Amino acid sequence: MRSQCLSLLALSGGTLFDDVFGRSLLVYDKTVRRRRAVLALLVVLSLILLTAYFGEAPSGGLHSVQRDFLTVVSPIQDGANKALKPVRNLFGWFGSTLKAKSQNAELRKQLDKLRAEYTANQVNEHSYRELLKIDHLDHELSIADYTPVTASVTYQSPNIWYSIITIDKGSSSGVRVNDPVVSGEALIGKVTEVVPDAAQVSLITDSAVEVTAKISATGTIGMVQPEVGAPGKLLMQYLYPASSAAPLPGDYVVTSGTVASHGVSLYPKGIPLGQVTSVNEQSGFTSVQVSPLADLHNLEFVQVLTFSAGSRAAALNSVAANLSPAHPTGSEEEEAQNGEQLASTGGGG
Amino acid sequence: MSARVGYSQRARSGAAQAGSAWLPGSLVWRVALLSVVVVFVQISVVSEVPVFGVSIDLSPLLVAFVGLLCGSTMGAVSGFCVGLLIDLALMQTLGVTSLVFTIVGYWAGRLRELRDPQAALTPLFVGAAAATAAAVGYSIVEFLLGVDAPVSLELLREIVIGVLVDTAVALPFWALVRRCLVGALPDDPRRRRRRAYTTGGLSPLSRSRRADR
Repeated sequence: MRSQCLSLLALSGGTLFDDVFGRSLLVYDKTVRRRRAVLALLVVLSLILLTAYFGEAPSGGLHSVQRDFLTVVSPIQDGANKALKPVRNLFGWFGSTLKAKSQNAELRKQLDKLRAEYTANQVNEHSYRELLKIDHLDHELSIADYTPVTASVTYQSPNIWYSIITIDKGSSSGVRVNDPVVSGEALIGKVTEVVPDAAQVSLITDSAVEVTAKISATGTIGMVQPEVGAPGKLLMQYLYPASSAAPLPGDYVVTSGTVASHGVSLYPKGIPLGQVTSVNEQSGFTSVQVSPLADLHNLEFVQVLTFSAGSRAAALNSVAANLSPAHPTGSEEEEAQNGEQLASTGGGG
Repeated sequence: MSARVGYSQRARSGAAQAGSAWLPGSLVWRVALLSVVVVFVQISVVSEVPVFGVSIDLSPLLVAFVGLLCGSTMGAVSGFCVGLLIDLALMQTLGVTSLVFTIVGYWAGRLRELRDPQAALTPLFVGAAAATAAAVGYSIVEFLLGVDAPVSLELLREIVIGVLVDTAVALPFWALVRRCLVGALPDDPRRRRRRAYTTGGLSPLSRSRRADR
């Protein structure tokens, strides 16, 4: 019917159908064409955006547009965040109350255990510092070499595919790309984009972030990355098994203070980031599952560890950032070699 | 056969009416304002309140409900704009959310244009379907882009809980969206039906009884 009408319409130059049904049909066809055209246009536009964004460098045009957008809306974000804080606190209060009871008993047990460990560690630390001074080795980069900038979280991605937050401090407060970000005493991520009054932080559970870390109890160094297919969980794969002692669930994982590849963030040594939850041994290669220490779903304030130009932290970060991709300390080749070595020795740790 | 022709003509007539009111200005403004407010509230407040370990995501619900109230074209356009706004604000890969939400909005709009569902629980099912479609669509696009995250039980669990949580808030959120947009809708089916019955018109049942007499 429709094709007949259209063919007749074509023959008569569009003047044949003056009756009500014909006019309605013409309007209907026009509506259908317009609807399909809008859908096709939007889908094509999305695909073009997707392809262009995915293919361009972080300094490209679309990334710049995103940064400009963030610059413009960051004051609005800040205002909205402050205005809606009571609402968020109200909902957060319900959730926290439900969780608090179950956490209370567990935390009390942990507190008793940690108090004992802390006392023992204080004695050991004193001896350790004395030994370092004697051997002139006390020039390691530590968290004290950084200037923490406290920022409040304005946005958090609702998507399980992105673990990113936006904070209300940017380059005007000294925040730079790759600066480590902590919450409380735990590492939560690093700065990945900066505009004058805001910055984007990729959390340690984001696929773009990897941290060179070690298990505090055994000294085993490895790479901590998000566990594939398990949102919110981390996986530490061993690179350098320092001791034969196997890690146990409950052991703490801290930053090692080293970088394993070109252009990554140099996290200060000794920042805790998670706790071992299980040990996996598959095909002779040991890895541990790590649960982040910070509650990454409920971040309100964070601290960005910034450094001033000319400081020791700046110098070391500059060295780390300028490592040649061809011959880095832990290049892919070397990692592959380490992997082979681990494989040949039956898996480290 | 006659029933099919009748339905087809009704649908075409409805579509023609919707087409004649090509994106009314007041409706566009209301949808734009609602979208901006919902996106800002979503990423400033709602995302930061975990429920059973996941965040409520109002954005696919918004897009689906706009489509359900305003038709496929408005649904697709609002889906694209809401997706773009989210991608820009959260510095995500541009185009991913737009693509998924465009399809969700269009689908919801087509549902309204073809079926015109009037059941009270329709928004619940549409919300659940929209949340599922958004989560699955997003996962597919991310897989195609090469994100190293194969399907695991944990990922599926997060998606399922997310869909359930979104479904739980679908009805109150539908009431909110409908309240915001109802004054600017060109042809509100409920208002149209109520007007027909209360201004002297007879319901189909009364009409058939009168004919029998």
